[in-house]
Amino acid sequence: MAASPIRIPLSQLPRGQRASIECSALDALTNEHRCLLAAMGLGEQCEVRVCRPGTPCIVQIDQTRLGLPKGIADRIMVTPIELTTP
Amino acid sequence: MTSRIALLGNPNTGKSTLFNRLCGLRAKTANHPGSTVEHQVGRCAIPRGNEIELIDLPGIYSLMLELPESTLCVDCLEGRIGQGRPDGLLIVVDANNLLRNLQFAASALRRGIPTVVAINMIDLAERRGLIIDEGAASECLGIPVVAVSARTGRGIDRLLVALDGLLSTNAASPPARPLPHSEPGSAASCAWAADAFARMAAHSPTQHDASMTAHDRLDAAFTHPVAGILTFAVTMSLLFASIYWLAAFPMDAVDSIFGWVGAALHGVLPEGILRELLVDGVVGGVAATVVFVPQIVLLFFLLALLEDSGYLARAAFAVDGIMRRFGLPGQAFMPLLSSHACALPGIMATRLIPDPRERLTTILVAPFMSCSARVPVYALLTGLLFAGRPLAAGVAFTGCYVLGGIAALATAALVRRTILRGPSAPMLLELPPYRIPSIRGAAVVAIDRGIVFLKSAGTVILAIAVVMWWLSAYPTIAPSPESVDLRNRAVALAATDPERSVQMSADAQRLDDRAQQSGSFAGQLGSICQPAFSPIGLDQQLTVAVLTSFLAREVFTTTVFVLAGAGSEADGDDLGTLESVRSATRADGKPLFNTPTAGSLLVFFVLAMQCLPTLVVVRRETGSWRWPIAQGAYMSCVAYLAAWITFGVLS
Repeated sequence: MAASPIRIPLSQLPRGQRASIECSALDALTNEHRCLLAAMGLGEQCEVRVCRPGTPCIVQIDQTRLGLPKGIADRIMVTPIELTTP
Repeated sequence: MTSRIALLGNPNTGKSTLFNRLCGLRAKTANHPGSTVEHQVGRCAIPRGNEIELIDLPGIYSLMLELPESTLCVDCLEGRIGQGRPDGLLIVVDANNLLRNLQFAASALRRGIPTVVAINMIDLAERRGLIIDEGAASECLGIPVVAVSARTGRGIDRLLVALDGLLSTNAASPPARPLPHSEPGSAASCAWAADAFARMAAHSPTQHDASMTAHDRLDAAFTHPVAGILTFAVTMSLLFASIYWLAAFPMDAVDSIFGWVGAALHGVLPEGILRELLVDGVVGGVAATVVFVPQIVLLFFLLALLEDSGYLARAAFAVDGIMRRFGLPGQAFMPLLSSHACALPGIMATRLIPDPRERLTTILVAPFMSCSARVPVYALLTGLLFAGRPLAAGVAFTGCYVLGGIAALATAALVRRTILRGPSAPMLLELPPYRIPSIRGAAVVAIDRGIVFLKSAGTVILAIAVVMWWLSAYPTIAPSPESVDLRNRAVALAATDPERSVQMSADAQRLDDRAQQSGSFAGQLGSICQPAFSPIGLDQQLTVAVLTSFLAREVFTTTVFVLAGAGSEADGDDLGTLESVRSATRADGKPLFNTPTAGSLLVFFVLAMQCLPTLVVVRRETGSWRWPIAQGAYMSCVAYLAAWITFGVLS
């Protein structure tokens, strides 16, 4: 039986790390923030890359860069895709 | 009847650049009754010789979000504001971000309004290796699609033809794949966009690697809590210093032109009330304000370049950490930055702040930010304080902005810890890509703001200038015995000692001017109120100038010139506007502006609420006169106290 993928808060990813936003990854957010982030491109089943960890946490989705406060990045649970050396 | 097309799109798609490309300066800012967010309305010619009206709506991420910009767009599309439903839609999408933008386009297409899609920034996308098949894109969406570059003008002709066709024929056909019924960001919408993208992308770029890019490094530097703030401070200081250096030549030119016009009118018109009214009241009064137009235009030009470069969004994050300590949300950054242009749009932009306490706090502190109306006053007073030292004047100018910012933050902290306590909402912001800013776009913005300022100078300021001239010219005060005696002696000495004769005539004129200043209606008003302003170093004339600038602070420079400078002009001296103010004297013969007075006035104008329209808008936004009255009283007290301390220290 395959082990379930590790899910960690977006804020804990290092610079350059890619991760996927799986189903229910945004459940810890308020509905208002979830809808806004989804419309901005950060929705379920998308892939993000961390451009700058910390505050703000800057992530890239496709060609869009979003700046997120730590409080929001802490509550987005992501699945790392591959480990990279920063 | 002119057809109306609404421009719709995500933020940062180059929508406003496209709007400016299509309409140029034939645009104006609109604010429909009932709406809170500003948008532009302009006209553009289409191929068959007709004109269409373009409505540049604010950039939004979804029509379904409970945000003021989204509500405005929905109201416009449903005909609840303006003149009914628009005849067509022009949806602008970013070629570099099609997966997200296509989802938004699909949700707008479901409204059933005839639509053209413009795929903007196609040149940048092609540089990355993305090739869009327009035909496939049209087939996919069932509407005309045109790839354009609003910056270079590529594809604009074809876009106009498409808009023309949109209004003359029903160009819509069923999309290749039914549009998703869910909102942008949903799984169904993402899947639809991925399929649509695959159909229209003839060639896609390879995925970028995960290594740290130059953009990452810049982002890290510009949003760094220390380096980011230092960068922001240095950038703004350089910006304001360059305004001084670059604006000097056009300001001199404007000054000379008004001087020439005044001299020409003086020579052509017969002596009398009409000549005095036109030369001293109209030309002199308006010149004192219009001379600062080059600085205002340059300020907006440079700010527009900074915004377009992508830097300002990073700066918002850099200052976010600081703002939170003072109880302001990150979203307050843009309204406060907008308030540097004018507090009115800044205050209206606070509707983007969801938390009512944070919004009210931002409204209360926004007028502390140095608006463009303060620029002429700052330029005049820093110019007087640091004559011939542009770098020091530039630093002082920056200091005014810093002082206003500090006052705003301190007030916000006070308010959030007392009458408006509560937690802060987090800031979510899209960071636009770094790019070389568009000179043309910045020029359009700057010229637009300059025209707005000139219209103000041509209406309100002109009216106040004329009233001030009348108050200072009437009642006419008869020459004093001393001046009559001086004139008689000057005539007697004209043949034997012409130099001394001229000097005596000038002294006689100065005596008459001072008698007129103190005996006129304005002088009488100043005498009554002067004791209240004496502690901050103001004499009777400057008291009048401050009182008249309560309704609109930029009127101060006009009033100072009309009250203090007209005498010099009447002497026939070849003095420019600034020089005539610099050489103006008080009733006791001392300079009107000494260092303590100029310093205290500068501080007073940084902190005082002297803008009637701002008070009116605050009342409208807060729904009560309680807040603007409290705000006006608080700011006036703070300004007076700070000016009093400054005067004491500099004296």
